[in-house]
Amino acid sequence: MILLHEQNVHHDPSRLSTAWAESETFALLPEKLSVSEEWLEQSLNLVPRELHRDHFIMLTSGTTGQPKLIVGNRARSEKLVHVLHDRQDSELVQETISMLPLSYTYSFVNQWLWSHVMQRRFITTHGLADPKSLKASLQAACDAMICLVGVQVPLLMTHLAGERFEGVIRVHFAGGRFPQEKMDDLRAMFPNAQVFNNYGCAEAMPRLTIRSAEEASEAANIGHPLCGIEMRSDDHHAILFRSPYGAVGVVEAMKFTAITPNDWIPSGDLGEMNDDGSWRLLGRASEVFKRHGEKVSLAALTTTVSAAWSGQCAFYREADRTGEDGCVLVLAPEATNDAIKPVLMALRKHHPRAQWPLRIENVPTLPLLPNGKTDVRALPSLANKSTLWQQHI
Amino acid sequence: MTNKAKLQNLIQDVFLLTSEEFRFDLKRSEVETWDSFGVVSMAVGVQQTFGYHFTPEEATSIQGVDDIIKVLTSKGMAFD
Repeated sequence: MILLHEQNVHHDPSRLSTAWAESETFALLPEKLSVSEEWLEQSLNLVPRELHRDHFIMLTSGTTGQPKLIVGNRARSEKLVHVLHDRQDSELVQETISMLPLSYTYSFVNQWLWSHVMQRRFITTHGLADPKSLKASLQAACDAMICLVGVQVPLLMTHLAGERFEGVIRVHFAGGRFPQEKMDDLRAMFPNAQVFNNYGCAEAMPRLTIRSAEEASEAANIGHPLCGIEMRSDDHHAILFRSPYGAVGVVEAMKFTAITPNDWIPSGDLGEMNDDGSWRLLGRASEVFKRHGEKVSLAALTTTVSAAWSGQCAFYREADRTGEDGCVLVLAPEATNDAIKPVLMALRKHHPRAQWPLRIENVPTLPLLPNGKTDVRALPSLANKSTLWQQHI
Repeated sequence: MTNKAKLQNLIQDVFLLTSEEFRFDLKRSEVETWDSFGVVSMAVGVQQTFGYHFTPEEATSIQGVDDIIKVLTSKGMAFD
């Protein structure tokens, strides 16, 4: 099995093309491994021999889950690329500018594999880690597609404030909450772009649904399933799917589990189908809980806070001193007590007291995982945070 | 900071009121967020801020900010 390290592929994407053309299965590993070499070796050894050809493997850790290897099938993923190409109206797109790590299945499939299959230009950048270089790439864009996660938008608006990138014609979001309330800012920055909300998970490798920004007005709407994909929710609203493009196996906790065409796979989110067949997210399965008998959805709270706060926001779970479940809101960048008043007023207006966070903390910037998502597990132990407000409990 | 200013900050924090909405003659019936959990939170806040723990009877009988001042004044705190 071939091991490809992201830092090497980033400098020379042709290595990926070579690996994809050869039949031997390869694993694409992130620059910063969240697992030990021993864990990786033992887990790779659990992949059955019949999957050692014509497949590829990604390592994912999610925001709160355990690390796992996801095994994709190349032919399936190439089919998905064609489906995405049509649904994302990508025929006019001539190039894609990478702003996320390629070890992220979203970036890997929606950008690198798309460019490889459709024979379009693939341009690597260091994303918002190097705003000056990114700005130059976006200014030089010519009928380009970019793929972002929602948490990057405040950073984008900070680092590239006032810029217009007319050569970007498609902007995709996935891997987190869709920044519906930032559409005006995004349209000002990318005046010629169609904006899409993409939804999926690593086991879907990675796409399940898609919608354009204009198709719905609420961030939680993730659109309709792609052609060939079945979705349903169970009695607890957990989203389950079957996909002809999805992963064929997972190695987790030192166990390989095959995914067969008949298996209903949980996406990890809660959701429900709207009357028109589109789907609406209710939150992560781990982000909905009860406090004083009241259901608390961190997704709903995020929607409220995002409308009142232009910076970054995230929540982590914490029990109060009575043992009752609660959550803590973390805001960035640094702010004064006065600056968070709109957030407090929005909480008062839209949520009963049981749904208010236990306190509001403030940090200069949120810690991010290599895939651009907030590192929720790091939030409780951040050293440089202050408390802006707290409930008396 | 005076006791009046401390109390104003506390009430605004507990019930999520703006400084424009706050008055020292504000009544419970005027504040939507002054619910049963709000009563508990207010009592905890008073204990943390002024060091006085309301009895259950005091906490439930309080019908406005002025009632809080009356109880705390009776315990020797000045709100002039």
